[in-house]
Amino acid sequence: MTPGAELGIFAVSIAAGLIGALAGVGGGILVIPVLTFGFGVDIRLAVGASIVSVIATSSGAAAAYVRDRMTDMRVGMFLELATTTGAVCGALLAAVVAPAFLYVLLGLVLLSSAAMQVTRLGEETPPTDPPSALTSRLRLESSYPDRKLGREVPYSARRVPLGFALMWIAGVVSGLLGIGSGVLKVLAMDGAMRLPMKVSSATSNFMIGVTAAASAGIYLSRGDVDPRIAAPVALGVLAGAVVGARLLQHISNRAVRMIFLPVLVVVGLETIGRGLGFGL
Amino acid sequence: MNPERFRTMVSLVLAVGVAISAALIGAGFLAALAVGWQGSLLGSAPAAMAATTDFSNLPARLASLEPLAISQLGLFALLATPVTRVAASVVGFALEGDRLYTAITLAVLAVLLASIFLLR
Repeated sequence: MTPGAELGIFAVSIAAGLIGALAGVGGGILVIPVLTFGFGVDIRLAVGASIVSVIATSSGAAAAYVRDRMTDMRVGMFLELATTTGAVCGALLAAVVAPAFLYVLLGLVLLSSAAMQVTRLGEETPPTDPPSALTSRLRLESSYPDRKLGREVPYSARRVPLGFALMWIAGVVSGLLGIGSGVLKVLAMDGAMRLPMKVSSATSNFMIGVTAAASAGIYLSRGDVDPRIAAPVALGVLAGAVVGARLLQHISNRAVRMIFLPVLVVVGLETIGRGLGFGL
Repeated sequence: MNPERFRTMVSLVLAVGVAISAALIGAGFLAALAVGWQGSLLGSAPAAMAATTDFSNLPARLASLEPLAISQLGLFALLATPVTRVAASVVGFALEGDRLYTAITLAVLAVLLASIFLLR
C-alpha cells in the first residue's frame, strides 16, 4: 500500500456506508473491488475488511432506523432465525461444495431479480391486503412514519413462508460465498413479503450486522482482518452510514428503489465475475 | 416495557457500541499516524514484531499502548455490537411479555454465539 492510501480508503468507505445504509446492503460490493484493484490490497484482507464494513454499516445506521420506527424489529428477529441457521449450514457446506458454479448461479438470480425490480419502479407503497392468520399470529404487521408522504403508512407481511425460505437461502449464500446477503434480504422482504421499500431496506440493514457477526470470528481467527485496512474502512463506513440513515427519512420509497436497483445489478455482475475467476 | 422504550433501549445499545468502537479505532488510527502501526505510544519498540492481523495477547499489548492493539480492541467492540443488540432484544421482548418473540430471539442468540465460538 502506498502512503496516503488510508485517506483514499477512508473516502471510498464513506460512500460505501452512505449507499449501504440507504440500500440495505453491506457496502462490500464497493469496498472489495476498490481495495483490490484501486489499492492493491490482498483479496483475503479485502474480504476481511468487507465483513467489518457490513457490521459498521448495520450498527451505524440501525441506531437511527430503530429509533425512527423504520426498522421492523419483529420482522427482523423472526427472519434472523432463518438467516443465522442458514449461515451455519452455508459455512458447513463450504467444505464440500464447489463455489464457482454457485457464484454464477447467484449472479444470474440477482440479475433476473433486477429485471423484476424495473417493473416496480413506479410503485410508492405496496398494495395492502388483509393479513393472513400466520402474519397476525407472528405480529408481522405494523406501520412506519413516512416523512416524505407526511403520513403513517400501514403494512403487513405477505407470503411469510416464502420470505422465510428465501431468508434461509440468503443465510446459506452469505455463509458459503460471503457476499450478496444484503441484496437477497431486501429482495425477500420487498419482492416476496411485499413490505414497503424503506422498511425492507432498514430491516435488512438491521439484520446484516448479525449475519456478518456470525462469521466474523472465523475471519478474525484466520488472520483476515488487518487494522491497517479495516480501521480506515470502519471509520469511513460508520460516518457514511450515520449520514445515510438520516437521509432515508426524507426520500421516497421510489428513490430508495432507484438506489437499490443499480446496487443489485453491480452485485449480480461482480458475483458472476467472481464465479468466472476475475478476482473481484 | 412499552414498545417505545424497547426501541429506545435497542437504539441506545447500538449507538453506544458504535461510539465506543469508533473512538477506539479512531484513537488507534491517529496513534498509528504518529508512531506507526507497529510502534508504541510509550516509545519502546514492541518486544516481538507481531503480525498486524494477530489479535492475540491483547491486554499486554494494550498496556504498552500499541496503536495496533487499540484499533484491534475497537474492532472487537464493533463486532460485539450486533451480538449485544440481540441480547438486549431478548430482554426487551421478555419485559414486553411477548413469549413467542423472547423464544425466537433467544434461539437467534444461541445460534449466533454457537457460530462465533464453534465455527473455526
